[in-house]
Amino acid sequence: MGEAIVITSGKGGVGKTTTTANLGTALALQGKKVCLIDTDIGLRNLDVILGLENRIIYDLVDVLEGRCKVHQALVKDKRFEDMLYLLPAAQTTDKNAINPDQMKELVTELKKDYDFVIIDCPAGIEQGYKNAVAGADRAIVVTTPEISAVRDADRIIGLLELEENIEPPKLIINRIRQHLMKAGEALDINEITTHLSIDLLGIVADDESVISSSNRGEPVVMNPANPAAMGYRNIARRLLGESVPLMTMDKQSTGVFSKIKAIFAK
Amino acid sequence: MKNLVYIRGTKEGLVLQLDDQCAYTDMLNELKAKVSDPALDGSAEVQLHLGNRYCTEAQYKEVVATIQNNSHLRVSKMRSEVISVEESNKRIQERQSETYVGIVRSGQVVKAEGDLVVVGDVNPNGRVVAGGNIYVLGRLKGIAHAGANGNREAVIAASWLEATHLMIDDSIETMTDELSVLSEQPEMECAYLHSNGQNIVIDRLQELRYIRPQISTFKGGS
Repeated sequence: MGEAIVITSGKGGVGKTTTTANLGTALALQGKKVCLIDTDIGLRNLDVILGLENRIIYDLVDVLEGRCKVHQALVKDKRFEDMLYLLPAAQTTDKNAINPDQMKELVTELKKDYDFVIIDCPAGIEQGYKNAVAGADRAIVVTTPEISAVRDADRIIGLLELEENIEPPKLIINRIRQHLMKAGEALDINEITTHLSIDLLGIVADDESVISSSNRGEPVVMNPANPAAMGYRNIARRLLGESVPLMTMDKQSTGVFSKIKAIFAK
Repeated sequence: MKNLVYIRGTKEGLVLQLDDQCAYTDMLNELKAKVSDPALDGSAEVQLHLGNRYCTEAQYKEVVATIQNNSHLRVSKMRSEVISVEESNKRIQERQSETYVGIVRSGQVVKAEGDLVVVGDVNPNGRVVAGGNIYVLGRLKGIAHAGANGNREAVIAASWLEATHLMIDDSIETMTDELSVLSEQPEMECAYLHSNGQNIVIDRLQELRYIRPQISTFKGGS
């Protein structure tokens, strides 16, 4: 019996889908059998980030309405043997097409076959959110070092704490820009964690290659040298119960900067 | 027959003592007869003592009307030895202190009839509402509304007072930058309604014993 993890944030654009894709990939690389569920019905894009868009035949709504079997709708990512699957969202309807009970049933079913079921939650706190958290055992809240994202994370954590079946949520701080944090222009990690007062699962550096690799349909975590990928890999290891120290952003930024400097030096 | 209505003079003034064992209508009839007595022609203020009789709001109004319509007497005060269970419970609730342990997060509302003690932070857009005083053992960064049922003596105290909005009864204060600069240091502070009845002012928590001495209910000690 695997476990179901919902990735949520409240605010849009902080990196829920990117985090889902990368954590899923990282866990698959660690030899775990992973199923990703996109619950952003009507605005799906987890499939695009994974580069599986053109292989979708059936979707989540088709499964829940009985038009197909679950295994028919699951899209296998051929890059990772038999380890990574995606259950894509429907694009032609909206979030009211499904309900939390159906989701719970589906997730319970999938947990039997997979080590991890990772649910990508849409932005907001309405029907889509309720559907996404229904079957989850654990929750990960993604935020960025911006006040608006932290405010929404606070709201979402409050709602998640009311869910009886979900463990206390864990935090990922995404898109960290070390130079802004140092200059005091962005909230620092300590400020965010004390404000939200939940456990920090990991931090991910803001890196341009996240965007370019998403556009290519390859999760950035596949490139182990990338700083953002290191963040995601560490988070995956912590999810598996390893204790990995929080990476120091200092080293990393000098690494990046020295690389850039080196380019200019040529 | 026993008198159902006594009029006596005390050092606090004229007192109308109404019998609490007889039927309500008997008492009312006798009261009417007594106060209509032409001997009672001077205008005066009387206190009404109902003893152990429970009067509903309507009955109480009827008694007052009977007195005031048939004489020159004015009812200044009413005293009864009984209150309803409902009222008693309400009073207990209003005096009770409730404790919330945890963080009041954005969008959450924590309400108490009486005093409210929050052990934890109140985050921005979180709201704490109390009929009495609010005490926050943590950082108050959201909205606090004390004395919500009309208690203008209520105070808001926090170990770190950085609220966006402070409300006491129906007064509201939005914290300006000026105020937050003052609270940059983690100093325990309290907010209360100024004696002008309009502005909410913030002072050091140490001053609370002089500003609202009645909050302290502790008796004894040495």
